[in-house]
Amino acid sequence: MLIANRGEIALRVIRACREMGLATVAVYSDADRGALHVLHADEAYWLGPAPATESYLRGDLILEIARRVGADAVHPGYGFLSENAEFAEACEAVGVTFIGPPASAMRVLGSKTRARQAADAAEMPRVPGSVTGLADVAEAVRVAASIGYPVMLKAAAGGGGKGMRAVTKAEELAGAFTAASSEAERSFGSGEVYLEKLIERPRHIEIQLMADEHGHCVYLGERECSVQRRHQKVIEEAPSAVVSEDLRRRMGEAATRLALSAGYVNAGTVEFLVDAEENFYFLEMNTRLQVEHPVTEMVTGLDLVHLQLRVAMGEPLPITQDDVRLRGHAIECRIYAEDPENNFFPSPGLITRLVQPGGPGIREDCAVFAGWRVPLDYDPMLSKLVAFAPTREMAIDRMLRALEEYVIGGIKTNIGLFRRILTDEDFRAARIDTGYLERLLAAGHASGSAHGEETVSEDVVAVAAALFAVSARREEAPVGEAAAESRWAEAGRREGLRL
Amino acid sequence: MTVWLEIGGKKQRVELPTGAVTGVMECSVEGRALSVDVRMLEPGVMSLLVTDPDRQGRQYRCVLDGDGVVIGGRRYGFEVDDPRSLQGRRGAGAGTEGPRPVKAPMPGRVVRLLVEVGEDVEEGQGVVVIEAMKMQNELKSPKAGRVVRVGAAVGETVGSGDVLVVVE
Repeated sequence: MLIANRGEIALRVIRACREMGLATVAVYSDADRGALHVLHADEAYWLGPAPATESYLRGDLILEIARRVGADAVHPGYGFLSENAEFAEACEAVGVTFIGPPASAMRVLGSKTRARQAADAAEMPRVPGSVTGLADVAEAVRVAASIGYPVMLKAAAGGGGKGMRAVTKAEELAGAFTAASSEAERSFGSGEVYLEKLIERPRHIEIQLMADEHGHCVYLGERECSVQRRHQKVIEEAPSAVVSEDLRRRMGEAATRLALSAGYVNAGTVEFLVDAEENFYFLEMNTRLQVEHPVTEMVTGLDLVHLQLRVAMGEPLPITQDDVRLRGHAIECRIYAEDPENNFFPSPGLITRLVQPGGPGIREDCAVFAGWRVPLDYDPMLSKLVAFAPTREMAIDRMLRALEEYVIGGIKTNIGLFRRILTDEDFRAARIDTGYLERLLAAGHASGSAHGEETVSEDVVAVAAALFAVSARREEAPVGEAAAESRWAEAGRREGLRL
Repeated sequence: MTVWLEIGGKKQRVELPTGAVTGVMECSVEGRALSVDVRMLEPGVMSLLVTDPDRQGRQYRCVLDGDGVVIGGRRYGFEVDDPRSLQGRRGAGAGTEGPRPVKAPMPGRVVRLLVEVGEDVEEGQGVVVIEAMKMQNELKSPKAGRVVRVGAAVGETVGSGDVLVVVE
């Protein structure tokens, strides 16, 4: 198995392969020679310079390596080449199994405009708006007038919030159209944008699917991903606190219908917006494994990467829809190298210290270590911290406990932000929608002591800081200790020679 | 010995027993006594156990992170102040007199230079754009004046604290 990715997801896939007795091949850029995904692989091959366009996005080089080393399959992870139909096709052409849907299904469901047409064919409710790309501003104005403001402009090839603009009145439409289109062109190589009605205060809820090559498809419950900043997910949970058994079944069956109609195979996710009246609207389909797949694994007891690999080997799904049972509650925090105090600017650099949380119900999918230099060339996600517990409230408290244990030194992270969200009354009461986090941040720093928060007395902080300062000063001027160390080193060398 | 600290904008004078960084000790902060039992577990990680009668047994895991100490998941930045050198250090870089640098707040890559040497700029005017992890950050002039130096080129990788532009 060649893993055409980096970071925590490459490591996640490598671990599954090793559990299944599959030999693993890593690829790496100049920035990643010492990365954990390389260290855990059986074989590793150099791809190119650090920028993704010269390394992890070079499908031609990756396939060339796959053929040279005799890899049977390529796992694309998420991001990079994972939703690139040409790459999937190129793999098929040379007899390398692409772990994901066939290129044809990816083409139908990966483009947002074509997916909206497929949703109509599968009789799935979707957000009102255009189902084809907009030719020009005039067409945008026409469509917007027919569905009514506010509207949202979106890139057909988009994702991650790029090429998106909310427009509240007609006068703003022309400028927003040009901006969204040029941003989409820069980010995805296609300036195609479409328009849909803006749903007020929606929740973002998505259904995890798994389909085999024999026409079976199951839905593995939902994930609530409403806590977002700039359309990037920050916290995900499973199940959603507001999805009833009935709503879950209706969304799950709609998602399954869509996947089967497009000949979908392997893991996929159908995203919905859900309004306050429990109406759900098809948003888009992600034709890959999602970042937040661990929360689904925790509550279903399934291993999605194992299932992906088995499906790709042609095996039928080992479970039916009736076997899928949700148990407990899982929450994931995406820990980013960014500075919440400085407009969330990325904070790459050397990790000088890493103290990771542990204990019951804690899972961490992470690919950094003390001494690792977080490269500035890629996504700033460092780790996914997951807490699993019998109830939502217990999972939130378990996550708070784990975050308290967590120390990442040397770079800035958003760990402090999570404490603020998880102690917020609205979050704890599950009163969240996609605008929740922006509102919380705009409200400024919460005053008073939040839930479970203990303030450390300033005297204790001062004594600790003073002791560190004194001990650091002593290290700078070595006397006894350094001499002792060198004697140990000397003894070690003697021992070594004796062996 | 005496250690002068600044924590969260507040000056703190800490007295420690000379020579000790581990074991049971009597300390004081701004004259307030605090007895603690300290174990340095590894460089930068210590367990601090309060032995004062009224707070006896309270334990804190303290982790050093650069110029900060992390306790209970919270980071407290601190500066060690030597009162004798304070004057000199405060003088440089403050106020609107003399040349003022625009420094990179984070490591990144210079994507655009918005000014040239000799150009007049307003306070708050963007002078250089740096990018890291697909995010761009426009750095602004700290004062009105003339650009006297541009210390970076487009495409160049810069480190945190590097001087990119100087405005006089």
